[in-house]
Amino acid sequence: MSSISALNATHSKGLFGDHEGKNDDELLKVSELKDFLIIQIVKYKSSLTAIENIKIDNLSLKNEALNISCNANTRILWNGPNNWLLISSKKETLKEINEKLLEADFAITNVSHSRAIIQIEGKNTKEILKKGCPFNFNELKKDTCLNSTYNGMSVTIDMIDDNPEKVRIFTLRSFGESFYHSITDACLEFGYKGI
Amino acid sequence: MLHIKCPHCGMRSQNEFSYGGDATVKRPELNKEISDQDWDNFVYYRKSLRGKHKELWQHISGCRQWIKVERDTATHEIFKTVKAHEDI
Repeated sequence: MSSISALNATHSKGLFGDHEGKNDDELLKVSELKDFLIIQIVKYKSSLTAIENIKIDNLSLKNEALNISCNANTRILWNGPNNWLLISSKKETLKEINEKLLEADFAITNVSHSRAIIQIEGKNTKEILKKGCPFNFNELKKDTCLNSTYNGMSVTIDMIDDNPEKVRIFTLRSFGESFYHSITDACLEFGYKGI
Repeated sequence: MLHIKCPHCGMRSQNEFSYGGDATVKRPELNKEISDQDWDNFVYYRKSLRGKHKELWQHISGCRQWIKVERDTATHEIFKTVKAHEDI
């Protein structure tokens, strides 16, 4: 079965907004990310399992606010107390999750097809986020994440890098098109390249 | 705009929260005979205080946890926030 990405009919490639006379480094780069394994992991309140002993793709589940455990393929985002969002480019990770996280202790939900993911890269990335989200982005460092709203839509923001700034923003697939237009409208002022 | 310190996530905008009502209201004990008046008071009647008020809020667009907030209803000053199971 083939899958159609959330922004398949929405995302446009090319140069947009105030891009004239600017080189590639000055432009924001907006892209849609697809084909990720996205798993929501929730530990039941009644569970007595110690999460410190669990490793998925050699990453631990940390119960620290805004924290991310990551390696080259997988990122585990803290989503709330005993609640994580795992994003991996390795589809086999699901098998490992099912083996290591017991059904009696954890609720595992595959949400791979119910999220739209937009990646923004460039020196004005935080300015784009500030336009629609009430969080103080000056505090957001590399490899941290947060849940918030962007123009009223619930989003998860993953700070991949801070030099140059690079973020992945996850939202519900049903918000995908509206969210894409919110982001690209905010990018027009700086000029952006859809890739 | 209010800023509320979520005990789990830190200082966040009120936009991320949803108001959940008076935190001092206690549900009548299960299987205990209570009068219609007491049930009515639990379901419908709320005080409209001016001053310090204990409230429930849910960090709906953040960690999705319920929290207790002590807030002044006149000045909107927030004095304290704690996790839902803790006493304020």
